[in-house]
Amino acid sequence: MEVESPEQLQRKQTTYLSFGENFEIQKEVYRGQQYSQIYFARLHWMRALLYSLVPNWKSHLPVCTILGLEEGTECIIVGTLYKHMKLKPCILDEYSKERSVAPLVKPHNFMNQDDYLVLEDESGRVKLGGTVLSPSVYVTGVVVALHGKETSAGVFFVEDVLEAGLPPQIERPLKSREDKYVVLVSGLSIGSSSSNPLQFQLLVDHITGHLGDEEEQGLVAEIVHLVIAGNSVEISRGILSGQNLASKDQSRLSEPFKELDIQLTQIAASLPLDIMPGSSDPANFSLPQQPLNRCLFPGSATFNTFRSCTNPHCFELDNIRFLGTSGQNIDDLTKYSEAKDKLDFLERTLRWRHLAPTAPNTLGCYPFTDRDPFLIDSCPDVYFVGNQEKYGTRLVKGSEGQSVRLISIPRFCETGVAVLLNMRNLECHALTFGTQFSS
Amino acid sequence: MATTSRNIKVFYKQKKNTTTSTEKKSTKNPSHKDAAATFGSDVTQATALASHGGSLDLKDDFDEEEKVLAQFDMNMAYGPCLGISRLARWERAQRMGLNPPEEIESLLKGGKVRLECLFEGRV
Repeated sequence: MEVESPEQLQRKQTTYLSFGENFEIQKEVYRGQQYSQIYFARLHWMRALLYSLVPNWKSHLPVCTILGLEEGTECIIVGTLYKHMKLKPCILDEYSKERSVAPLVKPHNFMNQDDYLVLEDESGRVKLGGTVLSPSVYVTGVVVALHGKETSAGVFFVEDVLEAGLPPQIERPLKSREDKYVVLVSGLSIGSSSSNPLQFQLLVDHITGHLGDEEEQGLVAEIVHLVIAGNSVEISRGILSGQNLASKDQSRLSEPFKELDIQLTQIAASLPLDIMPGSSDPANFSLPQQPLNRCLFPGSATFNTFRSCTNPHCFELDNIRFLGTSGQNIDDLTKYSEAKDKLDFLERTLRWRHLAPTAPNTLGCYPFTDRDPFLIDSCPDVYFVGNQEKYGTRLVKGSEGQSVRLISIPRFCETGVAVLLNMRNLECHALTFGTQFSS
Repeated sequence: MATTSRNIKVFYKQKKNTTTSTEKKSTKNPSHKDAAATFGSDVTQATALASHGGSLDLKDDFDEEEKVLAQFDMNMAYGPCLGISRLARWERAQRMGLNPPEEIESLLKGGKVRLECLFEGRV
């Protein structure tokens, strides 16, 4: 006979606002357009922004188009960067007549010291020279303003760069809040050989308050939201070979979803959760990935606390704005540029005001005609990326008092680490679950 | 960046003396007015094979309205013209604040002109 504890712990509540309409493509109609339209929309929006920032930067210099460049005259030009990379895989290599000894193993990073940058706008393009603009930092698709002059060789010698910088941030009322926590996790990879079901069950039990004593449960009652940032399932490649599946293999296809749904039902019964698709999830390949279909989650989708969201995902909890992706954008930057830390990439995308600058060049993207949905027009308070190797966090300050918490969420199947963020002061720490028994 | 002039004549280059010959209109491929994304190569073959009387010209019909619209298609300030209908491109330019000339909108809604851009079906 169990003794009922006299008081029931209530979980704290928050208000939730979704900003996902920007990333939904149900209303889009494909008319055979190419990617030039999305590049035009991006250049138009960013150029208008940079033109407004140029007077504060260097007001004495004239601004001109690329075709209007005159040799020797110092001026400012604005355009989209294109990085020419020797090692970037090209579909035409497969058809080239000369079968050079191409390496079978593709390198992780396609950078080469011969890479150079080109600036492009509607009127023309010009090769960039000088050492201020480093090809190892920038990627194709970033819109910047450059100060410099054209040399006799026809190359634009860059003296200074202006990036858009952090977008304006809406002031949050600084009333003394109570502690409310958000759990961010990614890379559950249910169905893969490396995932440990006990580890995920531990996470679920902890969040739903089934573990620990009253004090522990009291802390857990302050967790108000869970975000699963992609790669929740992994179907082994062997099944997806294009052959018809035997009936015994069909159950292997659906097993990971059944297991995920059971866990998500336990979570959804307890607190609101958002699930985003990732690169290994059954959603469309190109960004923005559309929400996972509710029929995959027959148990948990019946709860109104269950939300299937797009990737990238933008939402507000109690007026704190969260923005994040499942990792494809940062992984692509890792292939085409370099930085000491993944958080550097995250910070760069924020300063460039674009979530995925390499889309559509090397990252799959829907060919929007009238807008570029990845432009960041309002600075988030929390900016996260999922499916990274390790946990990392940093607080970034902007020139106009913006403050953003950057979070790199590690893959849960490999590390057993989830991230706990305190909404009161935007501090976060790692929540580690282990199932090794020390001998 | 965009020319905000309402005067449509700004778009005009020097006008050549062109003999408007009706037989040229009959060689115009009738499938131009159909659905947008025509990837079929038979369209390009038809226009290439048809004789244009010596002067190969991008515009295959010579009326004034089509010339005006072709200039609108070519204007870089409003973005690329391929893959988007002329009216959608005009509306997008309007939304972006580029002030496209209103005559274009009335021409397109008037209905006697090609709704797709100059190169539609040819590239």
